[in-house]
Amino acid sequence: MSLTEAERVFGGITEQGINNLLGAFFAARPRHLNYGSPGFVPSTTVAATQMGAIPFPGAPGGIDWAVQLAPPTVDLHPETDPLPPELSLGVNQLSVSTAVRLCVACETRREGERDPDQPDDYPDQPRDDRPPGKAKGTCFDLKIFAVAHLQRTFSPDGVVIVVDAVEIVDVEPSELEAVLECLILQILRAVLADVRLPLETLRAGAFSLTLTRGPEVENDQLEVYGNL
Amino acid sequence: MAEITVAIDEVGADQLLDTAIGLIPPQVASGNGALGPFVASYSAAASFAPGNVDLIAPGTIRIEDFQLNWSLNFSFGIDLSTFLPDFCIPQVCINIPCVGKVCTPEICVDWPTISVPVSISDFLQVTADFGLSVTLSGGSWKVAAVVQGIPSLQFGLVSAALLVAISAALTPILLAVPFIGPFLAVAANAILLAIGIGGVTGLLGPMLTPFVSGLSIPIYNQPQTFEALPVGGPFDPAVFITLDSVGASITSDTEDELVLEVDIT
Repeated sequence: MSLTEAERVFGGITEQGINNLLGAFFAARPRHLNYGSPGFVPSTTVAATQMGAIPFPGAPGGIDWAVQLAPPTVDLHPETDPLPPELSLGVNQLSVSTAVRLCVACETRREGERDPDQPDDYPDQPRDDRPPGKAKGTCFDLKIFAVAHLQRTFSPDGVVIVVDAVEIVDVEPSELEAVLECLILQILRAVLADVRLPLETLRAGAFSLTLTRGPEVENDQLEVYGNL
Repeated sequence: MAEITVAIDEVGADQLLDTAIGLIPPQVASGNGALGPFVASYSAAASFAPGNVDLIAPGTIRIEDFQLNWSLNFSFGIDLSTFLPDFCIPQVCINIPCVGKVCTPEICVDWPTISVPVSISDFLQVTADFGLSVTLSGGSWKVAAVVQGIPSLQFGLVSAALLVAISAALTPILLAVPFIGPFLAVAANAILLAIGIGGVTGLLGPMLTPFVSGLSIPIYNQPQTFEALPVGGPFDPAVFITLDSVGASITSDTEDELVLEVDIT
């Protein structure tokens, strides 16, 4: 069977190629993996995105929080990387795996304040060299598995990953797991919605392509078809 | 398996190469040639019009009947000494009383070289096989269809037309030479007739063949450090990937296709 089938132009990128693109994206723009309120992220930079603290009565300035994700990797249908039994990879789907660290601040050291854990009276104690304004977080890490599909985007013409379901392994009780999966699903959807892969990039600038079919996932590859 | 594979079918390749050929700027050249006793300096210009693409696995693109539009501006130099014998008035000496021996100098007539401008333009239909060339040059990956060998150009009636044009330009000039003009015109035309179509083809071939034998049609040109995403804002710099390798081939399954394969990191 020819590559172009009934169309004029074919473009295909393997899952390794997509992972290389995702790696390049998050290496250049790590702020799309790191989010936090001012206690953790004093200002938005290339490295991190500042968000508002969680407002709560009686908590001055709100509750500081942070979310850090590891660069996600994908596995395109058919399944190569094993998934938890709760998830299965269907036709035209891909799996996404990543890790997430969720942190909340139990106390916040404001700029200019002395760290109460490290009084100057004990100069032989190891110093906390975090810059002022950094909250101390109580954190935990989760390994995340998700299944997703691809969706076409416009302006520029491209492809985006849309997460369908998330699974977190070994969290008890199950109600807590459900709450965390709900939270992570929304976070992962939002993060990956920012990663719009232009068709121009998916074909490394070769030829031109007006999409008439796809994006499709087949043989561990993202495939698009079209005309010149 | 390459990380990125892009393929285009034969109809698409025809469109692609038509566009690429149309974008090749006009080519120019100049030089000198010889047509029998005539010396010709020339300037040549050539441009191309598309033909029909036939993809042949594993690596040949045949373009049938693409058009080479050409024009030539000649300046033919004709040395009249070719036609006329050297003519010298010999030295004459006389003895003059009280003066002595007086001699006249030998006087030779140096027949001039006449320049005749001739312009001609036409087109040729050429069929040529192109190979695929992949190079990393100046930080960019380039894929081009490069003509293989030296295609044979068929000039046909053009050669006869050039002979007629030379004759038409030359005859009135020679006829204007006093006394011997008609002789010169007859002699020059006799020489042109002797040179014939074969001689003119031998003149045109080396002038126009280089335009085709050096033909390279660009297919792909991208920087090795490829911008995957442009700058998205003050905190979103451009995203770059590296094109580690590029390959090009013709495949033939149920359809003939031009395939580019790219590895990225």
